[in-house]
Amino acid sequence: MLKRILSLIISVILITCLFAGCGQKDKTEPKLKVAALSSGYEETKPDMWKEICTAFTKQTGIETELVLEKNLEDVIGASMQGGDYPDVVLLATGREAGLTEQLIKDKNLTELTDILDMTVPGEKVKVKDKLEGGFIESVATNPYGDNKTYLMPMFYSPCGLFYNQGLFKAKGWEVPKTWDEMWELGEKAKKENIALFTYPTTGYFDSFCFSLMYAVGGPEFFNKVTNYEKGVWETEEGKTFIDIIAKLASYTNKKTPAQANDQDFSKNQLMVMQNEALFMPNGTWVVGEMADAVAADGFEWGMTALPAVKEGGDMYAYTWMEQIWIPKGAKNTKDAKTFISYMYSNEACKIFAQRNAVQPVRDVSNILSDENKLF
Amino acid sequence: MQKHKSQSLFIFACLAPATILFLIFMAYPTIDVFRMSFFERGAYSSNETFVYFDNFKVLFRDTRFIISAQNTIFLLVTVTVITFALALFFAFCLTKEKIRGNNFFRVVFYIPNILSVVVISGVFSAIYDTKNGLLNTLLSFFSGKTVSLLWKSEELVVISIAIAMVWQAVGYYMVMYMASMSSVPESLYESAGLDGANRAVQFFKITIPLIWTNIRTTLTFFIISTVNMAFLFVKAMTSGGPNGASEVVLSFMYGQKDAGLYGYSMAAGVVIFLFSFALSALVSRVTERNDLQY
Repeated sequence: MLKRILSLIISVILITCLFAGCGQKDKTEPKLKVAALSSGYEETKPDMWKEICTAFTKQTGIETELVLEKNLEDVIGASMQGGDYPDVVLLATGREAGLTEQLIKDKNLTELTDILDMTVPGEKVKVKDKLEGGFIESVATNPYGDNKTYLMPMFYSPCGLFYNQGLFKAKGWEVPKTWDEMWELGEKAKKENIALFTYPTTGYFDSFCFSLMYAVGGPEFFNKVTNYEKGVWETEEGKTFIDIIAKLASYTNKKTPAQANDQDFSKNQLMVMQNEALFMPNGTWVVGEMADAVAADGFEWGMTALPAVKEGGDMYAYTWMEQIWIPKGAKNTKDAKTFISYMYSNEACKIFAQRNAVQPVRDVSNILSDENKLF
Repeated sequence: MQKHKSQSLFIFACLAPATILFLIFMAYPTIDVFRMSFFERGAYSSNETFVYFDNFKVLFRDTRFIISAQNTIFLLVTVTVITFALALFFAFCLTKEKIRGNNFFRVVFYIPNILSVVVISGVFSAIYDTKNGLLNTLLSFFSGKTVSLLWKSEELVVISIAIAMVWQAVGYYMVMYMASMSSVPESLYESAGLDGANRAVQFFKITIPLIWTNIRTTLTFFIISTVNMAFLFVKAMTSGGPNGASEVVLSFMYGQKDAGLYGYSMAAGVVIFLFSFALSALVSRVTERNDLQY
C-alpha cells in the first residue's frame, strides 16, 4: 500500500514538473518589448541600446524590456514562431538569416506611415520634418512599391569603393571617374601585378551591385531589377550592367572568391592595404576594423563613389541602412510607434552618434565625431 | 494481483516522463516535418498552402540541391573511408608496436576532437592560406617551386573540408579501436607469429575480424554524424561558398529556410531524413557478419 502511494506521489510530482513550464503567465505590467541587433556600434562603446531605453523611459514614462543579441534572429525567431512577438525590432534587411525579408514577404509588418506625422517625444517637430530627404522613398522602407512605409530608416553609412590613397599618390594614378578610365587603370595595375578589384564577402559585392545599378540606369533601373521585372536584363541598361560585372570579374584578384567567407574575409580586405588589389566595396567601419592590420608603407584609406558609366554621368555610392519595424503580432503597437518616433530625437541621435551610428536626421552632422565626417 | 498492479503503475510512472518528452520533442516534430514538406509556407506566418508533391518535384530539379547532395555523398564516402583506414592503422600501430611516446601520440591524435569546429575552422583558415599557409609552404618546399593553390576555391573547397573533417575525427575513432584492440588476446598474435604471419596478415586476419562488431557500430554512428558535422564545417569554414561549391544538404536546407521557403526546406529535410535512414540500414546490412568469439 505504502509503495502504491509512493509511486502515485512520484508520478504526480513528475507530471507537474513536466507541465510547470507551460502554464506560467505574465503577471507583471506589460512592458514595451524592444529587440535590437547588437552590432559593431555596440563594440565601440557598449550599452548604446540600454542608454536609449533608459532615456526613452525617462522621456515618456513607458517601461521597456530590451533584448540585445548578436544572433537576434535565433533568439526572437523561435519565440516569434511560437506567436510571442517583440513590439519593436531593429534588424536590417540583407542579413544572412533574412528574417526581416521573410516578414515582408508574408506581409507581417505593421504599417508605419502615420509615424511620419507623429511628433518626436520631447520636441515640437514632426518625424517627417526631421528625417533627411530620400530615405523613405525606396523599397528599403516601402517594400511593396506603394507610398506606404513599413520599415523606418535607421543608422546609415555610405558604401563606396575603398582604396589606398598612398599608393595612388606614389604611382601618380588618378581615381577613375568613368568605367573606361577604370579599365585603363586596371591594365596599368596589371603590369605592376596589382589586381584592380577585390571584395570582402559576397554580401559586400551585392551592395556594390546595387550602386552599380544606380550608376547604370538610375533609380528606375534599380527598382525594375529589385521588383524582378520581366525582360529587365534584355534592356540596354541590363546588358551594360552585366558587361561591367563580367569585365570586372576578369580584373578581380584571383584569390578573392576563395577567401570570400566569414572566416577569411579580412584577408580580402588586407589585399587593399597591402597593394594586392586597388579597390574594394566597403563601409566606413572598415577603418576601425582593420586598424591593427599591417599595411604597406605609406598606406592611407581613401573612399570614392562608383565610376560613372558615361563621361559626366552620375557617380553613385550606395548607402547602407538599417531598419526598425513593428511586427504585426506586436501587442503594444501604440507605444512601439512612440519608441520609433523617439529614435529621431536629438537626444537619441546624440547617444547613437557617440558610437558613430548616424541617424538619417537633418543636421545630424553637427553631433558627429570628426573622424566620421571625413566620409 | 494487488502487487502486480502497483508494480505496473510504478513502471508506467517511471517510463511516462521519458516517453512524453520523446513524443513531444522527437516524434511530433519529425512527423510535422513530413507534414510541412507538402505545404508552401514561410517560417513566421501560419498561412500555408497545400501543394502536393511540388516541393519535391522542384527539389529534384534544383541544381543547387543536386550539387549539395553530390558534395554530401562525396564527403560521406571519402571522409569515412580515409578516417577509418587511418584510425585503424594508427590504433594498430599504437597498440601492437612498441613506439616511443605512445601516450604522447594518443593525446596528440585526440586533441582535434576536443576542439570546437569554430576553432578548427580558424586553424584551417591559417593552414589553407594561399601565400603563407602551412600547406602551400610545405608543398613549395618539397616541390622546389612556389605553390599557390587556392584551397578554398571552387575546385578544391570540398577536398579542403574533407581534410579538416578527417583531421578532426581520426583521433576519436583511433582511441575507440585501441580500446577494443587491446582486448584481443595476445596469445592469438603469438601463435600467428609462430605460424609465420607478418604484421599485415595479423592485422587483416586477426584484428579486423575480432573487432568487427565495434567497427560496424562505429561505422553507422560515423555516417550519421558526418552528415551533421559536414554542416558545421561548411558553416564555419566557407558558408557554402564560393558560389555554392561547398554546400552540403543540411546547409542547403538551412539556406532555404533563411530565404523564407520553409516548406521547401522541410522537403529537403525529409529527403535527408530518408536518405540517412536508408543509408544506415544499408550499412548495417552490408557489414553483417557472424560474430567471432575469443
